[in-house]
Amino acid sequence: MPEGKLCNKQPVTTKEQLDALLADTRGRIYYEEMKSLEVDKEKLRNSLKASLKSRTKTWLDMCAHCGLCADSCFLYTVNGRDPKQVPAYKIQSTLGEIVKRNGDVDNAFMLMAMETAWSKCTCCNRCGMYCPYGIDMGIMFGYLRGLLFSQGFVPWELKIGSGMHRIFHAQMDVTTEDWVETCEWMAEENSEEWPGLEIPVDKEGADIMYTCNAREPKHYPEDLAEAAILFHLAGENWTVPSEGWEQTSLTMFAGDWEGCKQQVLNVYSAIERLKPKRVIGTECGHAHRGTVVEGPYWAGRPDGQPPAPYIHYVEWLAEALRTGKIKIDPAKRIKEPVTLQDSCNYVRNHGLALITREIMSYIVEPGYFIEMTPNMEHNYCCGGGGGFNGVGLYRPQRNMALRKKRDQILATGAKLVIAPCHNCWDAIRDLEEEYKIGIRWSFLKPLVIKMAIVPDHLKPKEDEE
Amino acid sequence: MYEFITGPLLWVVFAVFLGGLAYRVVWYVKGLNWQLDRVAYSAFPAAGAKGAARSIFYWLVPFGTRSWRVKPGFTAIFFGFHIGAVLVPLFLAGHAVLLKERFGLAWPAIPQGLADWLTAVAVVSLVCIAVRRISLPEVRIVTTWYDWLLLVIAGLPFVTGFVAVMHWGDYQFWIMAHILTGELLLVSIPFTKLYHVVGFFLTRAQLGMDFGIKRGGRKGRNMPW
Repeated sequence: MPEGKLCNKQPVTTKEQLDALLADTRGRIYYEEMKSLEVDKEKLRNSLKASLKSRTKTWLDMCAHCGLCADSCFLYTVNGRDPKQVPAYKIQSTLGEIVKRNGDVDNAFMLMAMETAWSKCTCCNRCGMYCPYGIDMGIMFGYLRGLLFSQGFVPWELKIGSGMHRIFHAQMDVTTEDWVETCEWMAEENSEEWPGLEIPVDKEGADIMYTCNAREPKHYPEDLAEAAILFHLAGENWTVPSEGWEQTSLTMFAGDWEGCKQQVLNVYSAIERLKPKRVIGTECGHAHRGTVVEGPYWAGRPDGQPPAPYIHYVEWLAEALRTGKIKIDPAKRIKEPVTLQDSCNYVRNHGLALITREIMSYIVEPGYFIEMTPNMEHNYCCGGGGGFNGVGLYRPQRNMALRKKRDQILATGAKLVIAPCHNCWDAIRDLEEEYKIGIRWSFLKPLVIKMAIVPDHLKPKEDEE
Repeated sequence: MYEFITGPLLWVVFAVFLGGLAYRVVWYVKGLNWQLDRVAYSAFPAAGAKGAARSIFYWLVPFGTRSWRVKPGFTAIFFGFHIGAVLVPLFLAGHAVLLKERFGLAWPAIPQGLADWLTAVAVVSLVCIAVRRISLPEVRIVTTWYDWLLLVIAGLPFVTGFVAVMHWGDYQFWIMAHILTGELLLVSIPFTKLYHVVGFFLTRAQLGMDFGIKRGGRKGRNMPW
């Protein structure tokens, strides 16, 4: 069975394989090899047999073909109402066909299915809310991605992402040493302005264990410093693990289920090792989905719960503001029109819509917060979710997808967009770059630090000379 | 002939219909898998039951969900058909008489005038559904011959029954046609995707449990369907 050197059915598990993939600029050779990658039909049939159960089967069989899902999909409306973007069509023509033909599909079919699974669905799950039968095509696309990954049909960047997780237990090549050093560096760097600031590593029995996104230590470590400053301000007893600090899961975007399990077990073993009272994750949507919402199932935990209570950053921040652990200076609240991006992964898919609004009520001067339309659970994907942001091959499609969010933001008239999610934040940054609508965008952490009241005992001491 | 198709054949039809649907329900529930579906069905029964009940209830109410409200035309024809399609076969006076005669069951009935109206609305709605299938590109692309076949199977008993009751032609012919197409519909239900008569409740309950247990219900936030 012909397989490529770079493009094949095996996940990346060694540094050599990873380096070879990274050396292949933009996946040129990888995608060339994919054109002759054969489908292992036997394996596909066995996968279906083992994992296609009554829920998904019924979703595929019972779909009434009513088309009510069409308008629920932002990719359908943003692409000129192209009928080929109707969610029911997209899933029936890919997963539906694989099931109907019991795995008897060829290379050309799989290439089409790959393009559909990663450039025509961000797994935002909005269609599931609009189908009278509750057919959630986002979930089915997640399942389809798993089948495609196991056959080697996965975008180059996500094959790399999955490999990163399998090798580094992080979506980027950040080693334990890099991570611990970054923690020390950030504490040191900010200690003048924030005397006593610490980023305690591997403290057992702390009230809080903090987990983040590898991009923070890798590309903007100030985010880690900001998290530390806010915990410091709130007087929290917290820690980060030296191992198991990476909360994200590109393996989830890639459909690498085995990799998903390895990744989440790495975090859970940190929880079991350090025994914190609870765990708080950073301002990231898919990290929360991967580690808190879906992760327990990958790890095989029958109650669907992580080993300790595990909350999203916005839940902790709302609590800190509500209880007065962090106090906002009313004079410094946001006094310009501002809007809020709802992350699909923890708003539609984890019920936190009112939590972020509670935060808005503390940090925005009354009258300046403007909702997008639609919003909360019904909000649209930022345009870059589900891995879409990261795949170069589908960049034109992604840029098209950003238009929905662009128009939603323009309609609010706000120039500041609060985006407490890495993917949303990136997508909004990219949409400003692409369409130049004159907006600024921000996570919550830097905004809150700017407006928090610093108690005297936490201020730097005046020089006593 | 009439005796046979409203007697022994009807027995068989009911047995296939009910047995088939029972099989569908058992097969569906047995096939649920907490780990593959990623829903801890049995760990949180109260949250699951609440999510399931809400998920079914709001979708049964006309204009009860955002999806229904943003598509008022579709919602009107959808409920226009389904209200008649459920109430008339179950509570038509003529059907009640038959149940009394053949099975000895005392069965409630709705006034004949209401039944006539509901049937007329159902048939007109069905025509609108067919027109919609042809005219909207987003519906046309997902439509197959199987959808048309089911539309015909579902529509025939209502059309033939209405013609018979209205005495618009040879009553004997239309009433026989009505009985046979009605029986065809009943046997088709468990074997085609018309099994949604139970499937709707199953899939709605499943997604409701997903949202109730895993996706936000336990955060104190009910899914605003």
